[in-house]
Amino acid sequence: MRPETLKGHLDGMLLAALEPGPRHGYAIMEALRAGSGGQFDLPTGTIYPALRRLERAGLVAGTWSEAGGRRRRVYELTPAGHHTLDTERGTWRQFSAAVTALLEPAPRPVTS
Amino acid sequence: MTPPIGALAARGRPLPPGRQLVEDYLAQVGARLPGPVRERADIIAELRGGLLDAVDAYRDAGLSAPDAAATAIEEFGGPGRVAAAFGPGLALSQARRVALTLLVTGPLVGLLWAIAATASHIASRAALPWHWVGAPPGSLMVFPLAVAIVLAVWTALFTIAATGRATRWLPDRPRLAPGTAAVAGFGAAGADVALLVLLASQLTVAPGTLAAAPVAAAALASATRLVLAGRAACHCLATRTALAGPR
Repeated sequence: MRPETLKGHLDGMLLAALEPGPRHGYAIMEALRAGSGGQFDLPTGTIYPALRRLERAGLVAGTWSEAGGRRRRVYELTPAGHHTLDTERGTWRQFSAAVTALLEPAPRPVTS
Repeated sequence: MTPPIGALAARGRPLPPGRQLVEDYLAQVGARLPGPVRERADIIAELRGGLLDAVDAYRDAGLSAPDAAATAIEEFGGPGRVAAAFGPGLALSQARRVALTLLVTGPLVGLLWAIAATASHIASRAALPWHWVGAPPGSLMVFPLAVAIVLAVWTALFTIAATGRATRWLPDRPRLAPGTAAVAGFGAAGADVALLVLLASQLTVAPGTLAAAPVAAAALASATRLVLAGRAACHCLATRTALAGPR
């Protein structure tokens, strides 16, 4: 998949990756990779600025954690983040249903 | 020159080969990040954690330390691209900090001028600086002073509103906040110029009426803020210009 196709939906995908619970950057990346069947191939470094943007908007909350001498920033969804994710999901379902209806070949009319 | 925030390797023992690659990469990203030192250090620390997690995963998959580091770095994206992706966010942080500082220091500078007016003999006539002088040279500054204060306060408030939670609903326009923060900075500097001109005209017209110490303190505060607010506004404008470049 082309990176620009993914980029427009990055915020929604990041929120979805955090829905099961708090995760740090690398775990979010792994969740996106696994969840997309390896289709998610944006440069890893670009998810960090996106997470900071979501944090500024109050959709996720970040806290530092330290384990094994390594500092990681752990993010979790805020109530506003949950709400936005629900909205994004609804919008996406409508959009994808409409595009599918238009792009999929129409079933042949039954003649008899 | 931008301090090499990512460069940890220079002190202490030399790092293992893979780790050295990671630190070199982080130093390249750090050198390209604009904005406040603390926030840049914070970003680099987060990137380090993520990169080292990726290196560990490749090591577990059987790659050598240098290969694991090289693969993780390649996946991460070029240092220029990663740093550029942080640019808009850092610009908003900078604008917000400038606006908050102006809103906190503004009333303090105003208070010093009010104390200076009260302590001076003219206080019996009026406590407000623009009432100090009845003569035209001073009173002419009243209008620009009022305009500068109103402009600075409103643009600073707008900047704070536009750089917080509201970014959730606002269109993605990262150049707006640095622009309004710059206007707030120049507004505050303009107010200081007007106040200092008022003081100068009062000194010319009626030098004996002023209480030396409080007036000197207020003038010093205004002169200091004039320089700092002007400089902060110029920094915001530079950030705004940098964001206009190729992204």
